[in-house]
Amino acid sequence: MRNVYRVLAYLLSIEVLVQGMAIAYAIAGLGKWVEDDGGVLNKQVMDSDNADFPGIGGFAIHGINGTMIIPLVVLLLLIVSFFAKVPGGVKRAAILFGLVALQIFLGIFAHSVPFVIVLHVLNAFAIFIGAFMTGRAASTVAAPAEAAVAV
Amino acid sequence: MTTERRRLLVALLATVAVLAPVGWFWQASLVPGTYSVMDMGYPDYGGGPSAMTHHDLMGRSIATLVEDPDRPADVRVTLTVRKQRFRLASGQQVDGYTVNGTSPGPVIHAVQGQLVQVRLVNASVPGGVTLHWHGVDVPNAEDGVAGVTQDAVPVGGSFTYRFVADQVGTYWYHSHQVSHAQVQGGLLGALVVTPKPPTPAPATASTQVDQLAVLHVYDGKPTVNGASGDVPVDAPDGATVRVRIVNTDNGATPVWTSGSPFRVLAVDGYELHGPTPVSNRAVRLTAGGRADLEVTAPARVELGGASALVIGSGAPAASPQPTRLVDFLTYGAPAPLGFDPTKADRRFRYSIGRRPGFVDGRPGLWWSINGHLFPDVPMFVVEEGDIVQMHLENHSGAVHPMHLHGHHAVVLARNGVKATGSPWWIDSLDVAGGDNYDIAFVADNPGIWMDHCHNLPHAAQGLVAHLMYAGLTEPFRVGGGKDNQPE
Repeated sequence: MRNVYRVLAYLLSIEVLVQGMAIAYAIAGLGKWVEDDGGVLNKQVMDSDNADFPGIGGFAIHGINGTMIIPLVVLLLLIVSFFAKVPGGVKRAAILFGLVALQIFLGIFAHSVPFVIVLHVLNAFAIFIGAFMTGRAASTVAAPAEAAVAV
Repeated sequence: MTTERRRLLVALLATVAVLAPVGWFWQASLVPGTYSVMDMGYPDYGGGPSAMTHHDLMGRSIATLVEDPDRPADVRVTLTVRKQRFRLASGQQVDGYTVNGTSPGPVIHAVQGQLVQVRLVNASVPGGVTLHWHGVDVPNAEDGVAGVTQDAVPVGGSFTYRFVADQVGTYWYHSHQVSHAQVQGGLLGALVVTPKPPTPAPATASTQVDQLAVLHVYDGKPTVNGASGDVPVDAPDGATVRVRIVNTDNGATPVWTSGSPFRVLAVDGYELHGPTPVSNRAVRLTAGGRADLEVTAPARVELGGASALVIGSGAPAASPQPTRLVDFLTYGAPAPLGFDPTKADRRFRYSIGRRPGFVDGRPGLWWSINGHLFPDVPMFVVEEGDIVQMHLENHSGAVHPMHLHGHHAVVLARNGVKATGSPWWIDSLDVAGGDNYDIAFVADNPGIWMDHCHNLPHAAQGLVAHLMYAGLTEPFRVGGGKDNQPE
């Protein structure tokens, strides 16, 4: 269980990187499409969902990953934490769960108030570091009694 | 050991505490494979009498709500639809849908008062098709919504629509079966209803040009009547040109003129009263909405920035999009509405939000209506003759072009500020995030009518409610053997 906990925590930190890379690739692709290829992006094209340039999939990946896969990972992390007997593990998982919930809220709210995206980015770093440290803590702190039952 | 077991028990209880609500919400969100929209959600009577609705077996079937079957048709059209690869007027190759071999499909012309009869033939669209007459307040059984007003027409099948074009204006037709895919793929066309010509014709009529501009994005490329870029339109100098712009896309698009003023003659098929010339402003054309602009040739009408109508010779150069918009809350001059919205019999609230949850078992962030997720959404119940007020609110952070079938509503206020311009009748209204609107209409067209977001993927994600008249029964089913999928 401890290993599952650790893997999920690291997976969460990797997911944050995927989120950053996906959205950055999408914006870079969009920039080139507008500047070099004469693409026009307005509400009409945006909502047609079928504009085509390298990186456009990054928008969808960011959305699906962020609202479905990451919440699933952090939910599993929380559940696994109940069984994993990692000192402070439940607390850490619960905090990460809260940060992910906050992150989704900030991401949506930024559609109305763009400046909020700054907090979304800051919170992303918090989740990344928090998840990474949670994974490390679960790897390094080994209670002797539990080493034998570790899966 | 007891500590160990107690620990395990606590862990299991904590897991149940986390998973039980998730599982319960998941289970509660599952949509049956086939269902009647009448059984969706919960009735909302808007403060009016709670008329019998559910399972009212004595009611009249909505399939009987048709135009007078004995009246002969004045305009007869056959529209054959196909799924195929085709070439647009711009030369672009598209994998999509055609109507009589083209996309956009043929324009249907009718004179006010004529009975239009359209035979829809499905030559090769898998999964079936329907035709919805967007903005035309047709009898309910002619509304063309699969699973609500008819069954989808399978490959090899046909269906005949009949309605009287009693309202002049610019409209469009499109499939309302798997609409988010079929409309995007081009299964659409325009319908123009013109007034009866005056008799005798006025002696000093100046040259009039009537120009349609059907906007559609194919594979990410904006087009007008299938062409892209600068599209020339023949018109003699000084001619008055009525440009009928139809937004068939999922998002709003700005339209404006370069170098000369314009007037907005009509919105969503309803003439505006006392329209004044406008310069340096854009009209934000709602998804699904129409605007008729009047310009004098030569002129240049910008359609979203990617394409333009270049009218006559010597048209001005392109100018960038003006930052200000025409605000229909104040545009034009007031005129009587024909009814008193303050004497509303029912007042509904249609509040759009966004929250995490499950729709049909799928987790995600979903659009909510009055806090509920599809299909547990309100069913707005009215009786024929009711005056209805609806308060639209949007807390979802995204724009929603709200489309009510079968009725035109008048905008009373936006964010509490009363409308002071021409009566602003709409069938498609952009409600931006953070905004709210008060609209009103007369319930004068019995049936079961969709009231949904015309950003069609949003509708497919569950931003759909219905307006239902009391005392009707619903013979059609969503899903099931006919595979009706209206969204």
